[in-house]
Amino acid sequence: MNPVLPTIIKKEFIHIWRDPQTLVIILLMPLMMLILYGYAITLEMKQIRTAVVDLDKTPQSREFIEKIISTGFFHVTRVDVPYRQIEDIFFRSQARCVIVIPDNFAEKLAGDSSTPVQLVVDASDPNAANFINNYMARINVGFNLQHGAGNGGIFSVEARLLYNPDLLSAYFFVPGLVAVIILLSSALLTSIAIVREIEFGTMEQILVSPVRPNQIIIGKIVPYLVLSFLDGVLILFFAHLWFHVPVYGSLLLLGFSLFVYILTGLCFGVLISTVARSQQVAMMAVMVITILPSFMLSGFIFPVRSMPHILREISVIVPATHFLRIIRGIMLKGTGIFQLLPELGILTAFSILLIAISIRKFHTKLE
Amino acid sequence: MNRQSTGPDSFAAETTVVVSHLTRKFGSFTAVDNVSFTVARGEIFGFLGANGAGKTTTIRMLCGLLKPSSGSASVAGLDVYHQPEKIKTKIGYMSQQFSLYEDLTVRENIQFYGGIYGLSRLQIRSKTDELLHYLNLWDQVDVLTRDLPLGWKQRMALSSAILHDPPIIFLDEPTSGVDPASRREFWLLIYELAARGKTVFVTTHYMDEAEYCHRVSIMKDGRIVELDKPERLKNKYAAKNMQQVFINIVKGKDK
Amino acid sequence: MSRIFYLVQKEFRQIRRERAFIFIIFVMPFIQIVLFGFAVNTDVRYVPIAFVDMDRSQTSRRLLTAFCANETYTYSGMAATEEMAKSLLDIGKIQIAVVIPPHFERDLRTGNRPQVQAIIDGVDGNSAGLVLGYVGQIALQLQKEWLPDTGMPDGSPPVGLTEIVPRMWYNDSLESKNNIVPGIIATLVTMITAFLTGMSIVREKEIGTLEQLMVTPVHKNELIIGKTLPFMVVGFLLLNVGILAAGLIFGLWMKGSLLALWGFGLIFMLSTLGLGIFASTLAHTQQQAMFVVWFFALFAMLLSGFFIPIENMPRAIQLVTYLNPLRYFMKVVREIYLKGTPVIYLWKQALFMLVFGVVMILGASARFQKRVG
Repeated sequence: MNPVLPTIIKKEFIHIWRDPQTLVIILLMPLMMLILYGYAITLEMKQIRTAVVDLDKTPQSREFIEKIISTGFFHVTRVDVPYRQIEDIFFRSQARCVIVIPDNFAEKLAGDSSTPVQLVVDASDPNAANFINNYMARINVGFNLQHGAGNGGIFSVEARLLYNPDLLSAYFFVPGLVAVIILLSSALLTSIAIVREIEFGTMEQILVSPVRPNQIIIGKIVPYLVLSFLDGVLILFFAHLWFHVPVYGSLLLLGFSLFVYILTGLCFGVLISTVARSQQVAMMAVMVITILPSFMLSGFIFPVRSMPHILREISVIVPATHFLRIIRGIMLKGTGIFQLLPELGILTAFSILLIAISIRKFHTKLE
Repeated sequence: MNRQSTGPDSFAAETTVVVSHLTRKFGSFTAVDNVSFTVARGEIFGFLGANGAGKTTTIRMLCGLLKPSSGSASVAGLDVYHQPEKIKTKIGYMSQQFSLYEDLTVRENIQFYGGIYGLSRLQIRSKTDELLHYLNLWDQVDVLTRDLPLGWKQRMALSSAILHDPPIIFLDEPTSGVDPASRREFWLLIYELAARGKTVFVTTHYMDEAEYCHRVSIMKDGRIVELDKPERLKNKYAAKNMQQVFINIVKGKDK
Repeated sequence: MSRIFYLVQKEFRQIRRERAFIFIIFVMPFIQIVLFGFAVNTDVRYVPIAFVDMDRSQTSRRLLTAFCANETYTYSGMAATEEMAKSLLDIGKIQIAVVIPPHFERDLRTGNRPQVQAIIDGVDGNSAGLVLGYVGQIALQLQKEWLPDTGMPDGSPPVGLTEIVPRMWYNDSLESKNNIVPGIIATLVTMITAFLTGMSIVREKEIGTLEQLMVTPVHKNELIIGKTLPFMVVGFLLLNVGILAAGLIFGLWMKGSLLALWGFGLIFMLSTLGLGIFASTLAHTQQQAMFVVWFFALFAMLLSGFFIPIENMPRAIQLVTYLNPLRYFMKVVREIYLKGTPVIYLWKQALFMLVFGVVMILGASARFQKRVG
C-alpha cells in the first residue's frame, strides 16, 4: 500500500477534527432539518376550513352535514352565508370551500333522480382544491353506500393499503428527506474542502510534492465518506426512532446503498470543486446543481410520473431519484437487493463516471 | 535616499497625536499594554514590531475602529472615546489589506472616495486631475483597478485615502509585498506629504524603511520598548543599521 | 445625503461589472419558473395499474375499462395471480392492483355482492389516499350503471344518490402552476435580495474595503442605506422579470393590481434586506454568510406555504410560520395573482410585513457597527 494516501487521509481527518464548529454544523444541521421538515412537510389536509350553506334545513340535509363533519377532514367555520358572500369569504380566507345544499335536497333524495350538492372551492391552491374535492367525493361515496341500493351496494370494493396502511406522510417524506439531506451535506463538504485548499494556496504546496492527483482526490473523499456515512446512519437512526419509520428490509443492504449513494454525492462535490474557482462559486453550484433538482425532480415530494416528459428524463440523472426508490423500497417495503440492482448500478456508474471526469479535470486545471 | 531629513526641528512643536496609558484587551489577552507617546505635526512616526506585537491594534484604536479598554488618546485634539466620527474627518487611513475596489476603474475609485469624504463634484474633478497627473495614470484612467501593477495600486490607495486633505495619515504596513523600486516610490510620496506638513504614522516590518522615519517606536508584546530617532537607537545599541537594533532588542529582552 | 448617492453609484457600477448578476437577474427567474412550474404537481396522474381478472367475463372487462378510461391510471398489464401482482407492487412497477374474484358476473347478477379487491401501494400516503378516492368514485359510478341489471329484489329502497358538483373558483383547470408560479416569484425575490446584500457586505469585509469605509466620516446609516438601496432596486427588477417570465412562459398574468404588488414587494424587501445585513454581521467569510442566508431562506421557503399548505402543519409549526415574513408575501402575491383580491383585504399582511421589515432593518443595523473586533 502506498504510504502517501494514509498521510493525506490523516491530514484531512485532522482538519475536520480541529474545526469543531464545522463538525457540529455537519452533524447537527441535518438532524435539525430532518426534525423540522419531517414535521412540516405533509400534504395531508386536516380540518379544512369550510362554510356550509344549508338551504334545505331538513333532517336529511343535517345528516349529510353531520356525515361530512364526522370525518375530521372538514372544520365548519361559517354557516348559512348568502351565496353572494362567498367571494368575500374567500377574499378574507375564512374558508377554503363552501358546501351548498339545495333547498329540495330531502325531496330529491327520496325520489329516484340524483341529487346535486354544490361544492365551491377556492382553487387558488389547486393541490388543496384537488384534495378537498377528493375527500368530498370519498365522503359522498360513503354516504351513498349507506343510503343507496341494498345498503352497501351491489358489489363492494375492499381496499388494502400495503406498506403504509395508515397513509402516514412521514413514512413517505422522512426517507426522502434523508436522501436529500445526505446529498446536500456530502456534496457541499468535498466541494469546499478542495476549493478552500486551492484558494489558500496549500493545494499548490501538495502538488509540488510527488503526490498523484488521484491520490489527492481519494484522500479527500475517504474522510468525508466516513463522516457522511456516520451522519447518514445518525439521521436514519433518528428517522426510525423519532418518526417511527419502519425498516422492513435488510439493514446491511440499507447501509451498503447509503455508502454507494454518499460516494456519488461526494464525487459530485469533487467534480464541482475541480471546476469552480472560488468557494462562493462552488457553494452556489452545489446549491443549484444538487439541491434544487434533489428537492424538485427526484420524486421527493412531487411524483416524477406527473411531470412533463422532459423533466422525467432529467430526473433520471438526478442521483436522489434512484436512492429514493432504494431507501423507500428497503425501509417501507422490505425490497431485496435483486430488485434494486438497476438503481444501485446506476448510482455506482455515476460515482465512477464523476470521479473519472474529476481526475481528468484536476490534471488539466492545475497544469 | 537623498531626501532624508532629520524631521521637524522641535518635537515640542504642535502635537497631533497624544497617547497615554492606552490599553486594549481581547478577553484575557492584552494586545496593547499601557502605551504612551506623542507625535508632532509634520513628523514621520514609525511603528515597528514583530507580527502580533500590537501595532495594528494601536492604529485601529487611534482611527476609531476599536474602543480602547483603558487609557486615553487624542487625535488632532479629538478624543478617541467620544469623538471617533469627528476623528475620521481628520485622518487618512490605509491598511495592509488592499482598500480599493478592484472592479471599479481608477477614475471611479477616486470619484467614490471623494464622494464619501463629502467633496463637491467640482472638487472631485479637480482632485482627479491632480491625482492622475501626479501618479501619471492618465492612460489608465478607465482601466479596472485589478489590472494595475501592485505598486501603482498601493500609491493610488494612499492617494484615495487622503483625497480630503487630512492633517494626519495612518499607514498600516502599506508596503508589504511590494517590490523595492515601488517601495522607494511610495516613500517618496510619504516624504512629500510630510513636507506639506502632514503627520504620517506608519507601521512596517521592513527595517530599511525604519531608517527613513523621523522617530521610531519598537513594540514587543503590546508594550513600547524603545522610542527614539533611528540614529540614536543605532548609537545606543552600537548597531550598523536598524535591522541589528531590532534583533538586539528582540533577543536581548528574551534572555 | 450625497454620500448615499456615491455609495449607491458605486454599488451599481460593481453590479454592472459582474456578469453573474446579469445572469441572476435576467436568466434565473426564467429557469426557476420553468423548473418549479412544471415539477411542482401533487396531482396524481398516470398511476400504473394492473389487474388480476379471475372472472374474465364481460362485466369484469367493463370494470377494467372503467379504470383505464380514467386519466388517473395507466394500464400496465394483467397479472395471473394475486401473488404476481404483489411482487409487481414490491418492485414499484405498479402502484395499484385490482383483483376481480371468480364468478364476479354471476354473483353480481344473483345479488351475492361479490367483493373486488384494490391493493394499493401506500408508501406515498398522500397519493395513495387520492387513488383510494378515485377507486371509490369509479365503483360508485359502476354501481349506478349496473343496478338495473342486477337481481336485486323488488321493493328495495329507491336509489337517491347524492352527487357532488364541484365549482373550482379562480383556477378552474386546477393547474398547479397557477399557484406555484406566483410563489416562485415571491421566493426568488426573497432569496436573491437577502443573498446579494449579505454577500456584498461580507465581501467588502473580506477584501478590506469595509474597514476603509469605516475610517471615513460616512455615517453608519448612510452605509446601510447605500448597501440596501441598490439591492432593493435589483429585487424590484427581479420581481418584474419574474412577472414577465410567468406571463411569457405560462401565460399567467395577475388579476389584481400591479401597483399593489409593487408596493407590497417593496415593503417585503425590507425584511429580506434586513436578513442580508444581519447575516453579514454574523459572518466573517462569504462561506459563513452563505450558510446563514441559506439556513434562513430554506426555512422561510418551506414554512411559507409555498408548496406545503400551512394548514397541514402541526400546530406548533403553524405558530412558527407567523414569524416568517415570506408567509405574508406569499399570500399577497397569490391573492393578487389569482383572485385579484382588492388591497383592502390585504392590509393585515401589509402591516405584518411592514413591522417585520422595520424590526429586521433596525435590529440588523443595531448589530452592524462601525467598529471592528
